[in-house]
Amino acid sequence: MAKISLRLLVFLAFFSISAAPGMAGTLDAFKGQKGTVKIAGGTAHIPVMQEAARRIMTLYNDIVITIAGGGSGVGIKQVGEGLVNIGNSGREPTPEEIRRYGLTIHRWAVDGVAVVVNPKNPIKYLTKDQLKDIFSGKIVNWTALGGADHLLTIYTRDEASGTREVFWEKALDKGAISTKALFVQSNGAMKTAVANDPYAIGYVSVGHIDKSVIPVALNGVTPTLETVKNGQYKVARGLYSNTKGEPAGLTRLFIEYLFTPEGQQIVADKGFIPVK
Amino acid sequence: MNHDFAEKMVVIFSWMMTFLLCLLVTIFLGYLLTKGLPSLGAELIFGQADPLKAILGRARVFDGIFPAIVGTLCLVVLSTALALPVGVGSGIYLAEYARPGMKKLLGMLFDILAGIPSIVIGLFGFSLAVFLHNRFSDRFAPCLLISALSLAVLVLPYIVRSTQTSLEELPARLRKTALALGATKLQNIAYVLIPNALSGISSGIILAIGRCAEDTAVILLTGVVATAGIPSSLLSPYEALPFYIYYISNQYMNPAELSKGYGACLILLGICAALFMLAYGMKKQLSYRMLYRA
Amino acid sequence: MIASREVIAKNVFLFCAMASAAIVLSILLFMIALGLPLFKGSASFSLLTGPWAPHQGLYGIFPMIAGTLWVSFLATILALPLSLGTVFVVTGLGGTRLRRILGALVRFMTAIPTVIYGFVGIFLLVPLIREAGGGAGMSVLAAGIVLAILISPTMILFFADSLLAVDPSYVQAAKALGASRVQRLLYVMLPKAVGGMASGFILALGRALGDTLIALMLAGNAIRAPHGFLDPARTLTAHIALVKAADFDSLEFRSIFACGIVLYLFTTAAVVTVRLMERERKAVP
Repeated sequence: MAKISLRLLVFLAFFSISAAPGMAGTLDAFKGQKGTVKIAGGTAHIPVMQEAARRIMTLYNDIVITIAGGGSGVGIKQVGEGLVNIGNSGREPTPEEIRRYGLTIHRWAVDGVAVVVNPKNPIKYLTKDQLKDIFSGKIVNWTALGGADHLLTIYTRDEASGTREVFWEKALDKGAISTKALFVQSNGAMKTAVANDPYAIGYVSVGHIDKSVIPVALNGVTPTLETVKNGQYKVARGLYSNTKGEPAGLTRLFIEYLFTPEGQQIVADKGFIPVK
Repeated sequence: MNHDFAEKMVVIFSWMMTFLLCLLVTIFLGYLLTKGLPSLGAELIFGQADPLKAILGRARVFDGIFPAIVGTLCLVVLSTALALPVGVGSGIYLAEYARPGMKKLLGMLFDILAGIPSIVIGLFGFSLAVFLHNRFSDRFAPCLLISALSLAVLVLPYIVRSTQTSLEELPARLRKTALALGATKLQNIAYVLIPNALSGISSGIILAIGRCAEDTAVILLTGVVATAGIPSSLLSPYEALPFYIYYISNQYMNPAELSKGYGACLILLGICAALFMLAYGMKKQLSYRMLYRA
Repeated sequence: MIASREVIAKNVFLFCAMASAAIVLSILLFMIALGLPLFKGSASFSLLTGPWAPHQGLYGIFPMIAGTLWVSFLATILALPLSLGTVFVVTGLGGTRLRRILGALVRFMTAIPTVIYGFVGIFLLVPLIREAGGGAGMSVLAAGIVLAILISPTMILFFADSLLAVDPSYVQAAKALGASRVQRLLYVMLPKAVGGMASGFILALGRALGDTLIALMLAGNAIRAPHGFLDPARTLTAHIALVKAADFDSLEFRSIFACGIVLYLFTTAAVVTVRLMERERKAVP
């Protein structure tokens, strides 16, 4: 009897240790910590933030991590003003911003910005000139490109968005965006909008792309993790977490976690390119 | 004969419009129920966590709407607690003490307050937060407290008006009896008038509660976020049910999430419908007037 | 001493009332204070009539004012026949039981949260408009239709109140003279209630002007003023919800306070107009 119980005990002990989410080792750094980490800003970062937060909060009841969106501009602004602990941005903060707010930047992933259309749309290749004409409003109907006879709907992001900034600079070469474009508020929202509208065209973080939207090849290069990684697809950007000054306490632990093998694995799982 | 024709047209038109309205409501509710009922259940609310542990605060809920429900509850309780004393006090003043000129002026101000768009009130709350943050302490930011304050401002007119109207509607006989027996004005108010007007006042309070539960615009600007867990403190961001619905509507990741959105709609609808019926049941006449004049 | 307790009580209540009044005024003051730099910098005129193009330093809120007016007026105009027809049935043409049921239904509709109307609108109405109309689906029309359904119950209850407030003796007299239900409604109740109904109409318009969620979720939020019902639009309310992101000191951010002031003035104008109309009506015997 005792023998069986001992074996059972060892088995259960082994089972419960290995059943703990993730490797308890990396998250040990958070042991005994308490407090709140407020995160806001870039919407592309949200899936990674949420997964990291979930893992940490599941193990440690005294830690609270809140995550909000808003776009890169909001992230930089709010961390600069001290309203949040970590401000995420999908573009590198400008030297002016760094100086003004005393930011320390941490880049933990590389991502691309892809042009996307609805799966029902046959058009999967565009030249840069065609793209510029579409977004500036010169081309208004899909028939002009060989598609269905229906007006194009352009979806864009607001001025605070880092994704928009990168797209505008690198894909549109700072071209105009039509004033008739519909606005969405995050990468997730862009994906949903394009997935629901058969005549839509928009731009979204490469990491967010799934079966519900189709990435459009730009000048022959299809945006995928590989082409972003090897530099073939030029519309790329880093994902940054910014803090005011050097991070301390829980904030520092969280950011360090993003750079651990486990953290970088989360980055890869969510569709981005880890920096390590 | 011209009249006859016109009258017939009016009748046909009216019945058609009524039918249209009923049809729209039926489609609306039917669609919601069809899409939302399948997802109602423990998983919608608690996600993967154990329901009992989650309620006791021992387990965290990550993919259920429990934090949002708790957030909405906290909001409602806080804002009603803030609005109640000021609202009832103002109502009493208007009904019992104010001179006609003052009554008209204040009445108009409250009408204006009732008419201010909720987003403008949210803007006011947001500016308050920024002001406090810059002037006093870095710890101030859009948060549960600021949202509750803003919601209190939003629902203040409801409480003031229902208190004032239900006091004014008390029959003169009731009003004057205690005074004739030697009670002071305050005693009259406290022991006679308020208790008799209580059902009307309560119905106003319940309507205010319903308004707080459903509002989205105010909380958008004053501290609601997509992920926060159950509110950890008054000065922290929080989740709320209407915001969850809004958020899902424009960025659901997969059909399962969308289905949760519909489920959340049903839950919110259920809460508001229940509150409404409670208020209606409490004082039919008063609810009727409060509802549409608000 | 009883007297001092009385005085204290009275002052407490007075304080409550004054505090509430102060809140109303301070909302306006806060917005003016925070929006002021915008009014000083660019000419106020171009603020209200210029286009919105932050990249070029233009912070005109005209497209949003246009968007608000297009959406609210469409909604109110669509809601009017719907409300009129229903209220005729509710106050005159229907049988007693039907009236009660309808009345309950209409009142129940006022309890439905706005965000749920928007949610259903996105998934039910927008695809319909997109396929039938050719545009993006998210448009003035989509927002207008859903907003009309949202404000109809309010309008219906306002109208009903006015119609039912007509002195019943007039209605009885007409009935005694053989007037049918329609005739009583059209020739006796309606003319007397028109004034109150006009107030109700304006207040419903005010409600439509101030709504945020429906326009935010259904109208597309484009920055150009709409030229047609199938065009996307951005209302003042949606603009406030969208732009909170920017730099607190920037002119872009302050433009939302300008929006707030415009909205405050619109709705105050509606309320004051209604009050004046009521006063005039009551003055006439």
